[in-house]
Amino acid sequence: MLTEFGKIFVFILLAGLFVAVGIFTAKILRPHRPTKEKLETYECGEDPIGTPWVKFNVRFYVVALIFLIFDVEVVMLFPWAVTYQKFGAYGYLVGIIFLIVLFVGMLYEWGKGDLEWDRPQPIIPYLHKEEEQNK
Amino acid sequence: MNIANFSQMLSFIKPELAVSVTILVVVVFDLIFNKNKKIIPYIALLGIVVTGYYVIQQYALSGTAFPTSGKYGMVTVDAFASFFKMIVLIATLCIVIFSYYSDEIIKTQGRLGEYYTLIFGMVLGMFVMISASDLILIYLSMELMSLSSYVLAGFTKLRTRNSEAALKYLIYGAISSGLMLFGISLVYGMTGTTNLYQLNAALQGADVNLYTVGFALILIFAGIGYKISAAPFHFWTPDVYEGAPISITAYLSVASKAAGFALLMRFLKTTFVTYVDPHGSWQLFNIFDWQTLLILISVLTMTLGNFAALWQDNLKRMLAYSSIAHAGYMLLGVLVLTNKGVSAVMFYFFVYLIMNLGAFFVVMIIANKIGSENIDDYDGLGYSSPFLGVTFGIFLVSLTGLPPTAGFIGKLNLFVALLDKQMVVVAVIAVINSVVSLYYYIRVLKHMFLTKRDEKISIPVPMPAFLFILVMATTTIFFGIYFTPITSWAQNAAAILHF
Amino acid sequence: MNGFPILSVITFLPILGMIIVLSMPKEKNREVKIATLVITILQVILAVILLANFNYSLGGINDPKSFQFVEKFRWIEIPGISWIGTFKVDYYLGVDGLSMAMVLLTAIVTFIATLSSWTINKSVKGYFALFLLLDTAMMGVFVALDFFLFYIFWELMLLPMYFLIGIWGGPRKEYAAIKFFIYTLVGSVLMLLVMIGLYFSAKETLADGSQVYTFNLLALMNPKNYTHTGLLSPLNADNIRLIAYIGLFIGFAIKIPMFPFHTWLPDAHVEAPTPISVILAGVLLKMGTYGILRISYPIFPEITRQLMWYIALFGMINIIYGALVALAQKDFKKLIAYSSVSHMGYVLLGMASLSAVGINGAIFQMFNHGTITAMLFLIVGVVYDRAHTRGIYDFGGLATQMPVYTGVVIVAFFAAIGLPSLSGFISEALVFFGAFAVTTTRTLAIISTLGILLGAAYMLWTLQRIYFGKLNEKWANMKDLDLREIVMFVPLMIIVIYLGIYPSAMLNLLHASVAHLTNFMAQHAQSFLISSL
Repeated sequence: MLTEFGKIFVFILLAGLFVAVGIFTAKILRPHRPTKEKLETYECGEDPIGTPWVKFNVRFYVVALIFLIFDVEVVMLFPWAVTYQKFGAYGYLVGIIFLIVLFVGMLYEWGKGDLEWDRPQPIIPYLHKEEEQNK
Repeated sequence: MNIANFSQMLSFIKPELAVSVTILVVVVFDLIFNKNKKIIPYIALLGIVVTGYYVIQQYALSGTAFPTSGKYGMVTVDAFASFFKMIVLIATLCIVIFSYYSDEIIKTQGRLGEYYTLIFGMVLGMFVMISASDLILIYLSMELMSLSSYVLAGFTKLRTRNSEAALKYLIYGAISSGLMLFGISLVYGMTGTTNLYQLNAALQGADVNLYTVGFALILIFAGIGYKISAAPFHFWTPDVYEGAPISITAYLSVASKAAGFALLMRFLKTTFVTYVDPHGSWQLFNIFDWQTLLILISVLTMTLGNFAALWQDNLKRMLAYSSIAHAGYMLLGVLVLTNKGVSAVMFYFFVYLIMNLGAFFVVMIIANKIGSENIDDYDGLGYSSPFLGVTFGIFLVSLTGLPPTAGFIGKLNLFVALLDKQMVVVAVIAVINSVVSLYYYIRVLKHMFLTKRDEKISIPVPMPAFLFILVMATTTIFFGIYFTPITSWAQNAAAILHF
Repeated sequence: MNGFPILSVITFLPILGMIIVLSMPKEKNREVKIATLVITILQVILAVILLANFNYSLGGINDPKSFQFVEKFRWIEIPGISWIGTFKVDYYLGVDGLSMAMVLLTAIVTFIATLSSWTINKSVKGYFALFLLLDTAMMGVFVALDFFLFYIFWELMLLPMYFLIGIWGGPRKEYAAIKFFIYTLVGSVLMLLVMIGLYFSAKETLADGSQVYTFNLLALMNPKNYTHTGLLSPLNADNIRLIAYIGLFIGFAIKIPMFPFHTWLPDAHVEAPTPISVILAGVLLKMGTYGILRISYPIFPEITRQLMWYIALFGMINIIYGALVALAQKDFKKLIAYSSVSHMGYVLLGMASLSAVGINGAIFQMFNHGTITAMLFLIVGVVYDRAHTRGIYDFGGLATQMPVYTGVVIVAFFAAIGLPSLSGFISEALVFFGAFAVTTTRTLAIISTLGILLGAAYMLWTLQRIYFGKLNEKWANMKDLDLREIVMFVPLMIIVIYLGIYPSAMLNLLHASVAHLTNFMAQHAQSFLISSL
């Protein structure tokens, strides 16, 4: 008799098999007529210039992170919006508190200049006078 | 769930709410007073006082809140939790004072707001960790605490060591929390619940596969062991403690360890104890030999910590290893699996808080001036600044565990718990360890008092810092001579942790 | 005397002195010294008052009623909850004949050491503060009747001693200080474990009839107090009492120091400044033997009886080995240090006989060794202060140069050899009488007599090498004793001669206690064994 984990193992095996069989059948059945356009990275017709493995400005990451955080937090608002009426004013208040916290977070990143594209040079701290002069 | 119920449950997490509000207030004030950050430490102090008020208010409260299903909730509030929350709060209070006088932190210039926000982030994580009675909440709170502390470890960015500390901490932390999460998922898979009380019932009732549960538990213990820096999960400790700013090192060595121990003891007792006999001994599920495992970890931890500390020339690193050793001593109180052991650990934490923070504070004041934590730079300091020398001596003697200091009473309590269970061999090993520890503690005194140096360095001690050290040193001696209040407090708090 | 807490005063007077000394300005060296001297003189006066009011007929040992000047009140009390009984520690002081002798010795030796400290010129304030702290710890050990209290005083002694050797000592002071510290700490942690073990084995019945675990030494001596399940209960078959006894014994033996734990002693003595050597040899070594008599003997009478031959054996080894090593020394101070090892062997031998005569001799020898060795170290100190060398072969013919000094030396050396009419003779004779009388220790006692011969050899040889013969021209300007030094030697010489002629002065003091101890042990060795049947 299989244990619960045994079933999962069988499931994993089946999943792998399914993918392999699918790809293999497609390979056999599908027509194969490559053209130059089809082989390009972006099929929209833009020619890529140079390699994509270049250093991106670190600001992109910051913006992406901020976006991600707020995105996830906004997702929380959906279940709240659907059900807060059941809880009346209290439920409303809870949602508002959540929004206030979010708002403070936004103010914070704004105030710290993380929404500016061009940031001033960061100040590197020092502990002793000598270290400062060496810098 | 109705509203009245909900708001009543909120009253269970008043301290946590107070901490959260403090975080927000600190952020807002940081934005408003962008030029002058002097006010932020005072806000932090205010936050601590308010939180402390709620913690004390909660002391008489006992129960669980926020049930997901069934009778028991995700958050447990009892005197045990209040005790450890108090320890964390006192440590935080000390750290705010630390940071106020730490050159490293002062030099971070405009980032004080973030610093205190992160500290309170840690406090929130630890508070929830101390109270959590659900595996998911345990995991979340540990992550909250860890993420804040990763950033704090590299906060000053003064030297490459800071970044190294933060990165190492992050990597080790990620691995251990990954392991822990895996363990939690296995436990959930086996029993269908993450609530510790229901887990207890599930383990008692159904025929679960004990080997799988045992494996899962070892993974979870790995996560907790990492937090309390027990061997063999201690590797991060010396590097992180050496690299992090002193105030954060001190904080990690006391507060996060306290939270980790509280979690460990609550987890053990809530989940695995079948019943507690009138003598306070715990009967545990026979999943594996708990006691032997804990003895091994404890002995390994203290021995590794002590022997590694022997060779350290950097005081921060030495104190890091010594804190590993102390984690080993405190595990002695856990491994006896009795209420008495728990109360001994609690007592030890209180004492450890005072003496360890005191020692770190002196190291910091000295490092502010001479810019080094190297033991050779301490030569003759006992003569040029006798006050720092003598108080540092008191803290070190207390860490060694010699009377008439509080450290002795702490160790005595642990040994009493051990010998009460007739574990003589473990007690002998522990005792030999404390002799070994004497050697490296006394070495500092040797450099301060027995070695002379020609040039005189006078180390300025600001008046409040002077008072702070004085208070710490006096309490260290006072509780060595009259320890009744702390012991009764710890005993009463330890007894309640269970329903 | 009723109601006046004289023992607390005599114990904590030095702490008061320490506070006074610490509050004095830094440059007032002379005033600091005088303050310390006043404190120690007061201590001697208090000790004499104690002696004058002492009732010689009361035994003490295990009988709370026959302890004198008792002070007892609850120091720590933590009310019990279901799973842990009441935790209590008493502040319990009292003296019987055994501790009275030691209190006297401590007061006198400390006073002499203060005089001898007059030459200290380096951080005077710190020195005397630590010195006084040490004084309190020593006095406390001898008057404490609660194990917990005893242990605290015992440990309190370590740190001041560490600094006194480590800061004011000779060239290898750091090594000597840490060695002393670690050795003693190993011993005391063993003691700690036994202490906790005992705590969990016996329950004391309080006045209100409740039974609580106890650190009270007197309660621990009663076999009826032991619980059946206790770790060190006589019913416990695992030989655990034997192991505990050995642990405790090692704890004390390191302090004595008994071979093979003696290696810290020569280092500590050689490096320590003269007054600290005096304290070390005069008082600290006695704590080991005092602890054995006060704690090991009455609490574990049946095991003591079982092991008496081994104790005597180690006593014999100490005597012979110490004397042989002393013969080979070229350093005057090291020679005295090893002679101390040898002399403490007599104490062990006397104690091991378990007879009233032998134990009387042992305690008497403890007192005599305290006074005689103090003199010997002072004698070394005198030449070292003047010549800054201690090599025996660096001197010669000092007798003509310093007649007064040589007179003192001769008295001290002869007392150490055990010449009749000096105190050392009486105590050594008693030790041998005691050990001969008992069959178990007879052979060992016979071998040990060799020690007397060896003792005479190294002492007389030293006397000849340093004080007689041709005067080394280098020391032609050496001054004889000044007034302070004479004041330092005179009281000790009076004691040595007085006790040599009239030993009853001391023996009367000891008699009741020792008789009580031997009777008690003879009875209770039985009842401890019977209860284990």
